[in-house]
Amino acid sequence: MNLSEIGIRRLLQVSSALVIVGLALEIVSLLWFHPLSFVLFAFVAASLIGLGVLVYLASLAFAGAPPADNRN
Amino acid sequence: MIGILICQIVLSIVLASIFLIRPSLTSATGWKIVAFIGLCVLPALCLVGGMNTHVQRSEQTRFCVSCHVMIPYGQSLYVDDPNHIPAQHFQNHRVPADTACHSCHADYTIYGPLNDKLQGLKRIYMQYVSTPPDPAAIRIAGGFKNAQCLHCHLGARSFEENPVHAAMMDSLKSNQTSCLTSGCHDTAHDIANLSHAKFWRSTQ
Repeated sequence: MNLSEIGIRRLLQVSSALVIVGLALEIVSLLWFHPLSFVLFAFVAASLIGLGVLVYLASLAFAGAPPADNRN
Repeated sequence: MIGILICQIVLSIVLASIFLIRPSLTSATGWKIVAFIGLCVLPALCLVGGMNTHVQRSEQTRFCVSCHVMIPYGQSLYVDDPNHIPAQHFQNHRVPADTACHSCHADYTIYGPLNDKLQGLKRIYMQYVSTPPDPAAIRIAGGFKNAQCLHCHLGARSFEENPVHAAMMDSLKSNQTSCLTSGCHDTAHDIANLSHAKFWRSTQ
């Protein structure tokens, strides 16, 4: 296992953690009938989920990039 | 509907948990597809579903009156007075009772729902960060527009055949004369006199 693989797996773990926390907060916002529940969803849960998806996509980009010593 | 969305969210959490514990699984092609579904497709669908649910929920009357400053406005819907326009519409189901506030106060333009949400966020800010307004002092920015009334009443026989309405139709359409003009339909959410009002009790 090389360093790049370790980095990608770490990115996957970070992405998973962000998505899990974001989705858990989304469930809370859906079950909580209060004007603040929309704020919780729109500003916290959605941001965490969006960030998680972006980190996952970044890990895909890293996985698809050629190793540094094979460039040129 | 909310049950299906929560099931979808739980499924997404389970899939994401697998990759939190065992990220090495993504070495196999099949698991790569599962990771794409669990960490990209499902969370994106959950976001869309969550936004849709929250927007629909914010159109409900009980959502509007869940803010402290709106409580007297919710009570005014039960005033037992046929001249009290919001109460008359609410009690006789001239607007859907579940979405009564939204029916008369929604901005029916293309960016209306977005403007409504931004206004709502401004009110939340006032409630929790700055000073909450006195309920009796709340005024609609720019005044209540006739378009809100005409959205339903325009084209209705009883409205169009009314000689008073017919005489000033152009003025009403152009918003030069407000429907709430003194002497016309001027009793709307009279919350200053709510303590003296008689209330209607729904049997439901």
